Amino acid sequence: MANQSIAHRSLFNILAMTMALAAGVPAVHAWTSKDGTAEVHGYVDNTTHERVGSRAGISKMRNRGQLEFSKDIGRAGIFSELSFHGILRASYDAAYDLNSDTWGDEAGGPVMLQSQGGPDLGLPYMVPWGATPNPALGPVVLPGTNPFATSDPDVLNGFFLGTNPNEGLVILGSESFTATGGIPGFGGVQLAYPGRPCNEDPRGCIKDYMDADEDDLRFPEFNEQQDWLREIYVDATIPFANGDELNLRIGRQQVVWGRTDLFRVLDQVNPIDFSIQNIYEEFEDSRIPMGIFSSEYRMGATGAFDDLNFQFIWKFEKFRPHNLGQGGQPYNILDAGNLFRALSTCWNFGCTVGNFAPNATAALSFNPPFGPGAPALPHTPGGAFGNGLSTGLLATTFPKQTIGIHDAILPDWELDNSEIGARLEGVFKGVGFSVNTLYFHQQLPSLHGGTAGPPAINPFLAQTGTFTSAAGLLPPGGIPANVLINPATGQVLDTFGNAVPRPYLLAFDIHFPRVFMLGGSADFYVEPLKSSFRVEVAHTNGEEFPNTLDPRLYSESNVVRWVVGWDRPTFIKFLNPTRAFLISAQLFGQHLLDHERIQTPAGPAGMPDWKDNFTGTLLVQGNYKNDRIQPRVISAYDFEAQAATIAPSVDWLITDNWRLSLGANFKVGRAKNEWDDCRLCNQFPPFTDPAEGTPGAGTLPPGQAVNRIGGMSPLGAFRSGPIGMAQDEDEFQILLRYSF
Amino acid sequence: MKVQRSKLLVAAMLVVSASAWAQTVPEDVIQKSFYPYKDGFPTHAVYKPGVKVNQGNVDQFKDILDEGLYFFIKDGWVEVDTAAATDFPLSTEYIEATRKNAGSVKLGADGTLDGFVAGRAFPQEPDANDPNAGQKLVWNYQYGFNSGDSETIYPFWWTFRDVKTGKVERQLRFEWHFLNFMHRVTFGPTPEYADNPSRIYRGIYSMVKEPFDLANTQLLINRYEDDTQRDDAWLYLGFQRRVRRLATGQITDAFLGTDLMIEDFEGYNGRVTDYEWSYGGSRDLLLPFYHHNEMALSPEPADDPDGYRFVDVHGRGNCFPRVTYQLRKTYTLIGKPKDPNHPLSKRIINLDAQTSTMASLTVYDRKGDMWKWFPIGKAHSDFHHARNKGKGVALDDFAVLIDVQAQHCTTLQFKSIITDDVNQPSLFSVQNLRKEGR
Repeated sequence: MANQSIAHRSLFNILAMTMALAAGVPAVHAWTSKDGTAEVHGYVDNTTHERVGSRAGISKMRNRGQLEFSKDIGRAGIFSELSFHGILRASYDAAYDLNSDTWGDEAGGPVMLQSQGGPDLGLPYMVPWGATPNPALGPVVLPGTNPFATSDPDVLNGFFLGTNPNEGLVILGSESFTATGGIPGFGGVQLAYPGRPCNEDPRGCIKDYMDADEDDLRFPEFNEQQDWLREIYVDATIPFANGDELNLRIGRQQVVWGRTDLFRVLDQVNPIDFSIQNIYEEFEDSRIPMGIFSSEYRMGATGAFDDLNFQFIWKFEKFRPHNLGQGGQPYNILDAGNLFRALSTCWNFGCTVGNFAPNATAALSFNPPFGPGAPALPHTPGGAFGNGLSTGLLATTFPKQTIGIHDAILPDWELDNSEIGARLEGVFKGVGFSVNTLYFHQQLPSLHGGTAGPPAINPFLAQTGTFTSAAGLLPPGGIPANVLINPATGQVLDTFGNAVPRPYLLAFDIHFPRVFMLGGSADFYVEPLKSSFRVEVAHTNGEEFPNTLDPRLYSESNVVRWVVGWDRPTFIKFLNPTRAFLISAQLFGQHLLDHERIQTPAGPAGMPDWKDNFTGTLLVQGNYKNDRIQPRVISAYDFEAQAATIAPSVDWLITDNWRLSLGANFKVGRAKNEWDDCRLCNQFPPFTDPAEGTPGAGTLPPGQAVNRIGGMSPLGAFRSGPIGMAQDEDEFQILLRYSF
Repeated sequence: MKVQRSKLLVAAMLVVSASAWAQTVPEDVIQKSFYPYKDGFPTHAVYKPGVKVNQGNVDQFKDILDEGLYFFIKDGWVEVDTAAATDFPLSTEYIEATRKNAGSVKLGADGTLDGFVAGRAFPQEPDANDPNAGQKLVWNYQYGFNSGDSETIYPFWWTFRDVKTGKVERQLRFEWHFLNFMHRVTFGPTPEYADNPSRIYRGIYSMVKEPFDLANTQLLINRYEDDTQRDDAWLYLGFQRRVRRLATGQITDAFLGTDLMIEDFEGYNGRVTDYEWSYGGSRDLLLPFYHHNEMALSPEPADDPDGYRFVDVHGRGNCFPRVTYQLRKTYTLIGKPKDPNHPLSKRIINLDAQTSTMASLTVYDRKGDMWKWFPIGKAHSDFHHARNKGKGVALDDFAVLIDVQAQHCTTLQFKSIITDDVNQPSLFSVQNLRKEGR
């Protein structure tokens, strides 16, 4: 808190100083060379965000400088135009220092995880990281207090508190778990992630994907990819006798294909850095420029077209996915970075997962998770499993190399991994149009169950036996030696001798599969409505989505995405009689054509993503004082997630050089969307479903047990979307910029 | 055979009819239209060139001041220096095109233009008894030679000023390009580009160079030959890096926070058919027509590679051009918007008779009160930048839009060059916005 107070005082001091400076500093303009062919301009700014809610405090205090330069060489050899452009950017985000106990080297702390079906180990029905309930509770023979505990960090199936202490941890989606669960009254599954930068706490850091140390977070451009060199490219034009032109642009750049705000349909060439500010940063600032060769043949007016151009692009820089934000960073779209860090911790160090295994002890009484006075939890006293409700869920501690994320497999730089695209673009009878195609790698990660590395091991299975091939069910690394196999059938057996047709434990590698996109866009003006419209549609093939019905927990789906945008300058006379307000609305649609979802007695299973979803956005912007004061409201609503964001702001152009922007970002609506987190696939029988250990007791096919204890996290995040998952990130924001 | 003979007969009749229609314009009409000062410049009982018109003597000259300028001098906003009138002959190619084509031009039933090729559509002296006189004048203005066939304005500074304090609030630094795709007379190809499937008459392209928050913002407007067709426009937003289609119907909106509505550009920037136009008679008025190189110039732009300097500003709020005015013949054109919700009740355009360019514009709000005044300073092309010598264009050189009610003005300082060196059709394409965008 002391740090925050200092930060607040600093902020006001900066503001006061700036106001004084704005009044007194003579205007500075861009530098232009005497011959007008070279130009340099740029800005310095401070952006400060104050978050309210469970992780209140400064979430951003970024100080950034950006320098843009260009040199026009003019005619040179075969080129009619030759020019050189660059953008340098450097930032320092003080939030990691000023609010270090939330985002920096003091973030997190010891955690307690829910164990609603178990005894108290510390707080009521909570257990500390690294502990599990007492096993003497009935037929479920959970190991005793962390049977995997070891004093040797190199033990394969161990959990070594020395390297994996209950420190610096944060409960994933911590603010939301007790509010709801997969079944009303039960908390959902709980994971914890290390919240400190990777140099402070290496747990859960995924090499070359999410492994930023504190300086990487403070100074994000000074990374291995040299992002301080934001853009640098050469632009050259070759003229032809018939008036056509061939334009070549090579270097690190942004290639912009879309016509949308906030969300993208066709604009897929550059990945996005969501760690800057989730979806709310202007694309110009959040796109990650890439090394791209772009050639464009410009035919101009041709035949019936007022303008016609063909573009071919080749991304030659090594693939980079979206930056989703690392576990522990303030902006962490879909909570993905936090989840991945939690799962990577599980794999590499072991972890305690709250509310995981069902408790078979009917006599156990439940503590209402909603607090005193809350209604009692439904359960079946003395009842057997398989009746729809278990009698509770137990926190479960897993040793390392059992569940989690093993590795992120980023495509190497190889010609075969290149990404290419083409676009035909033009104007026909006043209608702007494009046809686009892109062959690229999915920029969002896809989690493949089973790992390509060391095989995941079920520590609950017998550690002896031989095995033969079980066609179609083998993990990529083969069946580990400690898995019991039915020699007659080749099927994996559990310790009860029952078939376990689920060789892929909850262990993953992260992949970025190949995707082929084909789409088009158009914009046009409709006079009777005094409105312009923009339309985009894209079909992709090869995208992967989580799917709990698939043995590997993901499957492909063709996807159609589209957007219709509507822009209308509209006079609202009582608010401003001389200047129109810009009203801009967009409706996005996404349709998973190969969506899979089934309803089990205990809930849905399959793909957590919505089969059909729609998101609407609305921008209303006014202008006062000759456009020097610009109030605006941006809002977005995810129809299926039933979550909305409202972001009012006011820009004040104090002078041509100084700009002050005050804003806020509020989220409303339903934050939580639950999904079964693959306990339906009953990975660890009998612990995840003892009924299956009793032949004939189960009513569903193996792997779809009724002990469905889903939760909001992790897979519910896919249903909540980027708006719903940020419900606890209301903010007040201030930007002060000096540009020249 | 019978049918074929009938067709031939009809075709022959059409040819004869067309030939009769395409009459040549009498030379005296041409001479009077383009050389109105051949027999001398206008005179006035009191006014003598060189007199300074100020608050003290303005009433003596009220009849040779437009409504706006009289108000500002009378109210002490500005004093005006005057000079002897000078001839502003237009390009001989434009005059020749008029001579050749004007005889074929007619007004259509809906007020649109039929048979127009190039030059001045109606060179005849406006007749107050002609109910279509206003309509003809507005077409002369619409297809005038204001920017030649092709013009580049760079640098082009738009400065927001508080009238009361003179404080400069904001300055937009642009480059602008104008290209006529049709009705061309001086730069090839004439009279039009062959590849123009949508019959674009004129392309306007601009890019904001500064300030940084708007840098690289680009605007492209395609105006079509069909006057009933709304312009198409696209905006490239530097901070979004993408082209955004503009809804061009809302042309009464202020442009980028200036005091100009989009409809005000160049005096009137809408469809001719959106207004009822009438002829308000001919007057001799003091207009800001001058020789740029002979004016007291501003020190800006200090870094111009050619050493070019803008016309300077003075008067209240520094809203007025420090130039000399000269007494010239004008036609008054009155436009009343057909849309009852239009914010204006009328716009009065004073067209310079010789050049058919807008010399001044006064607009009135719905209540009938004067709202804005918009004079355009015109520079003789032989006394400006060396590249303009002999171009025969009355160059846009300075303009100001004063919002009398808001006590605010936007001054426009130009470096206009009549050239086609960069103004090729490819510059006026949507793709060029992306190309130039950074």
